Amino acid sequence: MAVQVVKVRRPAATFSSANPWIAILKGLWVSIRHFFGNLGLFLRGRQDFAIHFPEQRLVQPPALRGMPVLAQMADGKERCVACGLCEWACPTSCITIYPAETADEVERYPEIFDIDMSRCMFCGLCEEACPEEAIIMSRQIEIASYSRRGSLWHKADLLVPVDQLKTRTDYIRRNYER
Amino acid sequence: MLDPERKNPAVPIEGNQAAALEELHTPPMRLQFGPSHPATHGTVKITLDLEGEQVVWSDVEVGYLHRGFEKECETGYYYQNIPYTDRLNYSSPILNNTGYCMAVEKLFGIATPERCNYIRVIGCELSRMADHMLCIGASAMELAAFTPMLYLIEGRELILDMIDSLCGARVTTNFVRIGGISADMPHNFPEFARPRLDRALKLFEDADKLLTENPVFRQRMEGTGYLSREDLIAWGVTGPLLRAGGEPYDVRKVHPYLVYGELDFDVPVGEHSDNFDRYLVRLEEFRQSRRIILQCLERMPDGPVDADDPRVRWPGKGRVFNRMEELIDQFKLVTEGGMPPAGEVYHAVEAANGELGFYIVSDGTGKPWKCRCRAPSFSNMSPLSKMITGGQLADVVPTFGMINMIGGECDR
Amino acid sequence: MSAEKPEEKAPAAPELSPLLEKVLARLGDRVLERHTARGDDRIHVARERILEVARILRDDPELNFDLLLDVTAIDYFGQPDDFETKLQVWDQNRAVMRRLPQRRHELVLPPRGPEPRFAVVYHLTSTRLAHRLRIKCRVPEDDPKIASVTPVWPAANWLERETWDLYGIVFEGHPDLRRIYLYEEFVGHPLRKDYAKHGEQPIQEYVGPGAKEPRRPH
Repeated sequence: MAVQVVKVRRPAATFSSANPWIAILKGLWVSIRHFFGNLGLFLRGRQDFAIHFPEQRLVQPPALRGMPVLAQMADGKERCVACGLCEWACPTSCITIYPAETADEVERYPEIFDIDMSRCMFCGLCEEACPEEAIIMSRQIEIASYSRRGSLWHKADLLVPVDQLKTRTDYIRRNYER
Repeated sequence: MLDPERKNPAVPIEGNQAAALEELHTPPMRLQFGPSHPATHGTVKITLDLEGEQVVWSDVEVGYLHRGFEKECETGYYYQNIPYTDRLNYSSPILNNTGYCMAVEKLFGIATPERCNYIRVIGCELSRMADHMLCIGASAMELAAFTPMLYLIEGRELILDMIDSLCGARVTTNFVRIGGISADMPHNFPEFARPRLDRALKLFEDADKLLTENPVFRQRMEGTGYLSREDLIAWGVTGPLLRAGGEPYDVRKVHPYLVYGELDFDVPVGEHSDNFDRYLVRLEEFRQSRRIILQCLERMPDGPVDADDPRVRWPGKGRVFNRMEELIDQFKLVTEGGMPPAGEVYHAVEAANGELGFYIVSDGTGKPWKCRCRAPSFSNMSPLSKMITGGQLADVVPTFGMINMIGGECDR
Repeated sequence: MSAEKPEEKAPAAPELSPLLEKVLARLGDRVLERHTARGDDRIHVARERILEVARILRDDPELNFDLLLDVTAIDYFGQPDDFETKLQVWDQNRAVMRRLPQRRHELVLPPRGPEPRFAVVYHLTSTRLAHRLRIKCRVPEDDPKIASVTPVWPAANWLERETWDLYGIVFEGHPDLRRIYLYEEFVGHPLRKDYAKHGEQPIQEYVGPGAKEPRRPH
């Protein structure tokens, strides 16, 4: 079998390899170039790399998968019909649903909808499984809490109005007609 | 430039010195190197017996990150195991996703569309670049070269930005699906990727300039961790380590999968089989990966990204919302999983550290009867004891760094 | 695609792949079964002859399997020999349930086959000739022993330790058969099918050198 092969070559014995000072000066030149490059950016008020987190936020792409939330419709109710597909698809079984029924047009609703955020691994399979576009990976990524109980999110905490989830819904709707 | 004295450090000492050493002779010192040692980027315990600076006996112990991946896979549906494969080699997750999904596709007998293959190749090569950057940066940092590590981490961030725009997560990608990918790439991805690839390459070249000619770095890398080509093959080593020994074994070339057969790239090989050649092979592979990505971006065909196979790929949401049959299909696929025919397959991809194989035994239900991951790190780690015994204590660190053991993959 | 009939699916004398032809010519009656499915070639050999087979496969210039990729085991706990039988029984059961769900007690379990419980699986490849082969050896439950292939491929060292750790199969002649992932005091072998996934494994007291004095009762 003929494989296209390229042999890696060690740097040849040159003047610089015989005199370590030259090689070290070459390396220093690279560092100094970076230093002045960054300094120039700083003086122009632009920062190349670091983001000062609470004041500045990283610009996330539209594909971002944040924590899963429940879509809340205009009338304040959740879109979820408690079919349980997300519960089933979840690899870590972090979702707990207790369904209930009402006399409304949409009869079923989740009486309890809990997500254990300490187990959730943000894989997005619940969103893909959902047949109602009711559970959506939001752009919320700051979910730390002071206690373990705080990482158990209940239905009231999870409800987010649909218009706030527009970036994500636009993104996933791209792939609806496949 | 192999220095024979470094390979065999038992230099005879003569005269009065020898007598004095005889008198001073003490039993070997037992040194526990790890499990969490600042000079290793991985959780591993190396027990060393030292005669002065020389390692006379060593034992490597892995398993500090064992999470029961295979047991977990046996209790989940095929589609549920994809997120777990992210956690195998967490510095190049898309490669693991692709390996697992292609093994399951081979079990089903599914061929994925052309555009899907190209996007998968882009994801794989981005992951490989990120992995090599992390490996070289972390190894250089363990040899007290901190600046290249900063440049390489900055370049790695640029690559993770691209992965982020592809699948919405930087490390836990969950990108590939059985019979497709989770989402088509953004329409502006080529324009987004090209400047970032250039900038990453520039940072990489800077790190290269800092390291490759640096006398301290070269002295610590050259001639250390030597293992002959025959030994490497006998010990089951694959990937950059084997190629640094002069054996051009690359799964992308030997058993071409996806579209690697159509792409034009070279396999870098070394000749000295020491740490410096492993480093040089990784440098060259990074450049080849960039070349592959640019080719893929040029040739990217149009078309669907998902195989039209109702056994595995969930129906599009547009149809699930509006039609009864697809809704039922969605419920069946989620609650039962796709059911492959009974049988067993082995499929391997070239991961950043070597051949990553998945051996899946199906009993015809929605869950695998056995899902075995042939992890390259695990096989590459097994001759570590052989590589370091007889050398100096300081050679353990570059050797371990160049093996690039990833705990999640080695211990699963 | 036309519907495949069962007799078409499993013909009496399946076509031999070029690799299997070579392997069979070299190994002769040491091969108990051979299969070619989905592009993978697989042979079954008796466990007593694995070392002999391994030597031939490595040293023969036409085969030249010099790279041992993987050693693992499969636990066919309570399964028929082939999963096809099991699927047929399940289909029957499903039909019974559909017609008369109240006669649930009449459901049958798939018959247990006469083959031994475990199978040790080796994956080989050749760096020069670029072909792959899978070898399977059945190992019974009451005597889970097989010869180690470490003398042939040193790569088997850790892989066999892993298989011993997770499946409890003893590799005779292995230079250093210790547990590799789990600690020495661990009880049981977790990848066996009768080891519950959620079964709590109590932390065992460390008894090796340097162990602490036992704590006095309060």
